[in-house]
Amino acid sequence: MTIESEITRVVELFQLPFMQRALMGGVLTGLMGGLLGSFTILRQLSFFSDALGHSALLGISIGLLLGLDPSWVLLPFAVVFALVVTYFLERTRLWTDALLNIVYSSSLALGIILLSFRDEYRGGIGNLLFGDILAIRTADLIFSAVLLAVCTGFIGLTLRSQILMTLNEPMAIARGVNVSAQRTTFIVLLSLVVGISIKAIGVLLISAFVVIPACAARMVSRRFTHYIVISAGLGAISAVIGMLLSALFDLPSGPSIVAVQLGTFLLAALAPTARALAS
Amino acid sequence: MNDPVLVVDGLTVYRGAHPAVQDMSFVLQSGTDTAIVGPNGAGKSTLIQAVLGILPRQSGRVSVLGHPLSAKGHLPPKVRQHIAYLPQNFLFDRRIPITVSELVALGWDQVGLQLPWAGRRERRHAAREALDQVEAWHLRDQMVSSLSGGETKRVLLAYCLVRPRSLLILDEAPAGLDVLGESEFYKLLYRLKREQGWAILQISHDLDMVRRSCDRVLCINRKLLCQGPPEQALAPEQLALAYGSEFVRYHHTCHDH
Repeated sequence: MTIESEITRVVELFQLPFMQRALMGGVLTGLMGGLLGSFTILRQLSFFSDALGHSALLGISIGLLLGLDPSWVLLPFAVVFALVVTYFLERTRLWTDALLNIVYSSSLALGIILLSFRDEYRGGIGNLLFGDILAIRTADLIFSAVLLAVCTGFIGLTLRSQILMTLNEPMAIARGVNVSAQRTTFIVLLSLVVGISIKAIGVLLISAFVVIPACAARMVSRRFTHYIVISAGLGAISAVIGMLLSALFDLPSGPSIVAVQLGTFLLAALAPTARALAS
Repeated sequence: MNDPVLVVDGLTVYRGAHPAVQDMSFVLQSGTDTAIVGPNGAGKSTLIQAVLGILPRQSGRVSVLGHPLSAKGHLPPKVRQHIAYLPQNFLFDRRIPITVSELVALGWDQVGLQLPWAGRRERRHAAREALDQVEAWHLRDQMVSSLSGGETKRVLLAYCLVRPRSLLILDEAPAGLDVLGESEFYKLLYRLKREQGWAILQISHDLDMVRRSCDRVLCINRKLLCQGPPEQALAPEQLALAYGSEFVRYHHTCHDH
């Protein structure tokens, strides 16, 4: 099989509507994950996004048990769950990572138990855990695009308050920033992004979309504004390259994208060493 | 006399079930420097955080430039613009990617919804002027994480003066500096205070500096024990009330030698 025939095969594959939807879904998820991820890692909420992803399984299970479309249950569940967890994080004296560990492992366990009552769904656990980006529907794309616009609008219009809050919350409050409202809005948007991305990426890999591009961007950024743009850009580029590699080598899509994200992170981590060697 | 910059009347703040600040009243006039002194746990940081609306108060009244601080800690944005606050040690995660000019420009920004590029030219110009005034323009493109302690403090002062302010609130601002760095910090702070006409409310453990440089002292230990000019508020009998007589004996021994 020649390289040209392989390229032709991939090009033909991406002419199929479901592949185009998958590519767009990957790019939108990458952009949203990278955008919110840039603030998530600096506010040390990466484990929070992981816990949100795991809790989504419980939301889906509840939906299935009630005979409702899991997608409609998942989003409100993720938002309520995120707000309840934030409440406990702010009001208990437990360590954040310990409390989040309780949350994510127990919601995973409860989700699996509830799913076991639905025999016909046992085979779908794999899809929930690793996602199925090829199954993205047009409605999912529209919702993701609207959510991306809302996230971009929120971060863009409150950028300076967000940066000040990330630097030092008391300083932000002293300047008149309503830190509590801003923090809650951010958490709600993050939970919606995680919730909407579960279908494509799966419970286990979603936090990679939030954390890895942002960490890679941090390695190569000196200015905060550049860092946010690079983080979102790396999220989108990783999705495109991951989808292409997945089509070329017939690999699972979600894990391929995460593998590309890892590649960008390693490149970014090695960049200073390479620069030092070159000079 | 001008209207006071800050009026605190009967302020009481609880931390958990216990009052950390009880029934404190004082007034800060424009262009004056007031130091808050007292032992660890005396409620110094709690007091200024309640004055800024960072912590809720149980009772009492706070007003800044004639505007009352609401029970929920709200002040009109135009009043907030006149306040600069530097928290204890300015603790922030040094892994945050931010340059000196970005940090200083944050001091210029108004809070509220605005496009990211709004007022770009003015904020850049204001940041340049502020950095020039603290002789730190050459640091503008450096990441804040790469600065020394002394450079960080200078940049923070540029953050304060990037807009005209009336009130500067400092929580142990020179903490972490060596003796030389601390003396340079205060020299710069007081030059800027004279030029800008700031009223300063600062927490300090350096009683010698307070004695030399401040106009008024609030000596506290959960309650306001005394207030007045340094020679009165830092008299041995007042210090003994706040810190205990052992401390006063030790302090005077060190001073005499």
